[in-house]
Amino acid sequence: MRSAKPEMRVIFTVILLLFAVFLFLPLLILLVRSFGSDRGFTLGHYASIVADREFVAAIGNSVKVSGVTAVITTVLGFILAYSIHCTKIYRPVKGLLKTVIMVPMLLPTITYGFAIMYSFGNQGLITRLAGRNLFEIYGWNGLLIGYVIYTLPPVFLLIHNAFKYIDKKFIIVSKLMGDGTMQSFMNTIMRPLAGALGGAFVLSFILSFTDFGIPASVGGTYPVVATQLYQVMLGSIPDFNQGAVIAVMMLIPAVFGIWLLNYLEKWNFHYDKLSDIELPRQRVRDIAFGVMSSAIVMGMLSIFAVMFIAPWLSSYPYDMTFTFQHVRDVIQSSDLTGVYRNSLWVAFLTALFGTLMAYLSALLNVRTSLKARSAVDIVSMITNTVPGMVLGISYLLFFNGSSLKGTFIIIVLCNIVHFFTTPFLMAKNSLSKMSPSWETTGELLGDSWFKTVYRVILPNSASTVIEMFSYYFINAMVTISGIIFLVSAQTSLVASKIKELQHFAKFNEIFVLSMLIFFTNLIIKLVCDAWQRRTAQR
Amino acid sequence: MLKLEHICKQFDDKVVLDDINVEIGTGEIVSLLGPSGSGKTTLLNIILGLTRMDQGKIVFQGQDLSNVPMKKRGFNIVFQDYALFPNLNAYDNIVYGLRNKKGTVSKQEVREYIDFLELQPHLDKRIGELSGGQKQRVALARTLVTKPKILLLDEPLSALDGVIKESIKQRIQSIAREFKLTTIIVTHDPEEALTLSDKILIIHQGQIAQFGTPQEIVHHPSNDFVKQFIIKQLHIKRQNIYNLFGEQYA
Repeated sequence: MRSAKPEMRVIFTVILLLFAVFLFLPLLILLVRSFGSDRGFTLGHYASIVADREFVAAIGNSVKVSGVTAVITTVLGFILAYSIHCTKIYRPVKGLLKTVIMVPMLLPTITYGFAIMYSFGNQGLITRLAGRNLFEIYGWNGLLIGYVIYTLPPVFLLIHNAFKYIDKKFIIVSKLMGDGTMQSFMNTIMRPLAGALGGAFVLSFILSFTDFGIPASVGGTYPVVATQLYQVMLGSIPDFNQGAVIAVMMLIPAVFGIWLLNYLEKWNFHYDKLSDIELPRQRVRDIAFGVMSSAIVMGMLSIFAVMFIAPWLSSYPYDMTFTFQHVRDVIQSSDLTGVYRNSLWVAFLTALFGTLMAYLSALLNVRTSLKARSAVDIVSMITNTVPGMVLGISYLLFFNGSSLKGTFIIIVLCNIVHFFTTPFLMAKNSLSKMSPSWETTGELLGDSWFKTVYRVILPNSASTVIEMFSYYFINAMVTISGIIFLVSAQTSLVASKIKELQHFAKFNEIFVLSMLIFFTNLIIKLVCDAWQRRTAQR
Repeated sequence: MLKLEHICKQFDDKVVLDDINVEIGTGEIVSLLGPSGSGKTTLLNIILGLTRMDQGKIVFQGQDLSNVPMKKRGFNIVFQDYALFPNLNAYDNIVYGLRNKKGTVSKQEVREYIDFLELQPHLDKRIGELSGGQKQRVALARTLVTKPKILLLDEPLSALDGVIKESIKQRIQSIAREFKLTTIIVTHDPEEALTLSDKILIIHQGQIAQFGTPQEIVHHPSNDFVKQFIIKQLHIKRQNIYNLFGEQYA
């Protein structure tokens, strides 16, 4: 391979320095603080946390509710993916299922909680349709519903992608060899998918375990780790050392989970040659899965429905006359529009610089001969592991005295680091598929490295760059766990504002703001998808 | 004239090239022939300036190029996968380098190269719409308009089928004659090497097994390797053709 150029070294050094300051050092400080005291090293903070009965209960609760969530979500995700890949359901229905399942990704998790309240609460939409209170929503039930909705899209995507690598010819072969239905199902579907299903469980578990938005809204008096962490850090008597300990405790299952995820990846089958094959018709199977998957998606949508209805009514559910009042109030409130503007601004900057950083990292990682280029792979593994709340706390501890505190810069950087893994892997995948000779050819034709990147590499990965941008934008728009410790009065974002409005029970404002986020994300998604299709066609 | 003197290259502990000494005359077509892993592509990359050699000298027309970087050597290459840029059409690929070196080639000359390679009907096509042979010719045109002092070709025929292969072979020969262009080709196919080039450099395990004209190699193979792997393959091929057409066509 060609030798590394000075300009590559400079960019690489800058990237590594950024990660040193905005990932490694903050995490290091977090670790130090969890062991630190005025008198040096101590295990005292850990001891006092472990002795704290409420906290131990919170860990138990988190594990229990995340575990049950993970089981349910994996089953639901499998049913959806199976319906799309292995049944002969009417094609447009499949397309609709695939699209609608992504809806929750466009909303902050804290909104889910309020949607659940308005659906299943005493006067909720679904409660009224059912004629009675179905169950108590604050605590266990609310958390469970919220987590399932939150983790279903990523779990579905994971299983859906694994299905793409399964050769469906084997289903036919198994039938021809005389396997029974159950045996055929086990051999050609379950066994090849075992790794992905395990991975789906782990993913759902970690996401639920580390999420803050859902317990913040419907957690009630049921303590989980995330709410404990929030109370310790931002409660009436903040205790940074204890916060650091809880953050470390939150990090441990995440580290274990990611390790498990990588391990399970090896279980997956990768048939090297895939061919499309017509599946035999089976009415019972098709109808059963068609009904089940539609029910899952409809159930999910019905919970969000109230969010789009309530703000247009005078006083849901008591006075059901139509009004623009609430929407007008929000638009006229300079406070709320300012917060929305902040969110847009942060999401845009995150998307712009995040995409740049992830793209350059991937470019140097797969298309140069820099000696330390695999360092970025390690970075991407770490960013994949560290939960948003843990990263946020680390920043809070590390940058507390600095001038970065309370600025947009620190929020944008936190987002860039927090969501780095996926865009980085997208870019890496796309860049590694290109001809390895382009840079050499460009150089022989008189280009500098930058010029070849600009004239050849970038145009040929435009579609991926757009996808990366959209991913960063949407995630920056909806995240709450990453930024909750970093926002100040001046840099308040929509997601954190919702948390604030909760105290004043201003649910109409909450839903209007959520709709704003939703439609902004929807527009970004649709525009990016259309643009991506156009560049891909060329 | 291109002189390679005592070229050695090692990757980690593995010796890839061991004391290569060759002289290539101006306008000659020379094939580097050898099985995969013999070091022939490494030698091509060393001549190009892409790979650094551990020891030895490269002298071109009396000038020592050993420490001259790739970009300044003035050689150019067509890669095995052609490395055409899919975001540009055939014409924009051909003139890609001219933006960087304005004035080296006139519009008229570009047209001549295009006509010579019969690319006129394909200029507006996207790279994905071109056939293998057309891609090869576009890549050749893109390289030729930079007026390289030596043309390097990495497995130029391996991705092409039957008839196209023969026509590209003739094309390469006529380029070398027409522009008096020294051409160095990497290949693993003895038939290709012996029918295409003026001289063949057979490399085996990083060393020169034989360097000579096709006649010398066929009639006076210098060692067992050349006999076993090069000549024997040609004999089998000849036998197969005889069996098809009958001995009288010998």
